[in-house]
Amino acid sequence: MTGSGLQASACLAALEAAGITHVMGIPDNSSAPLFDLLSEHADIELVTVSREGEAFAIASGVWIGGGRPLVVIQNTGLLESGDALRGTAVRMGAPLPVIVTGRGYAKMERAGLEPGVELDAELLTRPDVDSVALLTEPTLAAWGVPFARASGRDDVGLVGATIEQARAEERPVALVLTQALS
Amino acid sequence: MTSGELLAPLARRRTDEVVVTTMSTVRPWGRYSDSDLDFASADSAMGHAADLALGIALARPDRRVICLNGDGSMLMTLGTLATIVGSGARNLILYVVDNGGFEITGHQPLADHGRVDYAGLSRAAGFPSVYFFDHGGDYAEALDDVLAAEGPVFIHAVVQRGGEGPISRGPEAEAAYLRTSLAESARSLRRAL
Repeated sequence: MTGSGLQASACLAALEAAGITHVMGIPDNSSAPLFDLLSEHADIELVTVSREGEAFAIASGVWIGGGRPLVVIQNTGLLESGDALRGTAVRMGAPLPVIVTGRGYAKMERAGLEPGVELDAELLTRPDVDSVALLTEPTLAAWGVPFARASGRDDVGLVGATIEQARAEERPVALVLTQALS
Repeated sequence: MTSGELLAPLARRRTDEVVVTTMSTVRPWGRYSDSDLDFASADSAMGHAADLALGIALARPDRRVICLNGDGSMLMTLGTLATIVGSGARNLILYVVDNGGFEITGHQPLADHGRVDYAGLSRAAGFPSVYFFDHGGDYAEALDDVLAAEGPVFIHAVVQRGGEGPISRGPEAEAAYLRTSLAESARSLRRAL
């Protein structure tokens, strides 16, 4: 992942504008600039979790308590979170926006592959491809979680749009970042 | 200590706390309480009652949140002990109701075969107030102090094996808070808060 993706400061501004009160997650190299900003934020409470599945349960509890949560995790952690996401936010119909940083998207692009490529055993074991990127969007689709893909700085509007969609449809909605936050 | 000896004194002292139950405490708690502030983590995500309760506590720092977690549930997400302490939430009271097995499925042993010291784990994770009870009388006598202790509070309560079977939601459920869907139950608690 490179540093030409969304600016962390612009992303934070979108969270502020949407009234996000709590952010749950675990940083990776892509989301670290946002976590750094959030760790010093006066109004948005950052909750670093031990394992990504917790983020969905905590976020659902925050929503029950009247807060406006957001989850930020890497796509590897998303895959780990399956039942936690299903059994809390999805099952409750909680309006939960999720920012998913996309490990492996750059490799996928260099290999000439698109996110929707048909999966098979040969592709999932290829050393020049990170299988988590191949599995991210099919997994979200299988779990019934709508998603959009943000690839560059011009896509910052998708942060607010994802939050709005989650609230309007009362369900988790994901924004997959294919490049690192800068 | 029986399940009743654990739950009845708590129900008598409970005022405006949120109570989150899961697994073997879901139906028994419903026999002692019928409050809008009760929430069953049932038809939900297994092992995630404590972190769900943490979320409620974080959103409502003015309100104490009690989670009646199971030993098997706690083992599934031991990292949540660290998350709770790290979050800074002081209004969470976390029970591990230790019946020594997977009661819902017939008392099969847990992965630790009874060897884990939950009070020791929570103390090592940084909980400022940690308690262990295996006798109903001792528990009832100490409960006022336990509920007033500096949070987050951790209580390892060893109870006798019960006979709770699989839990389902629906209009015929014995416990009132199981008669609505998880989604409606979440919204009901949200409105009550």
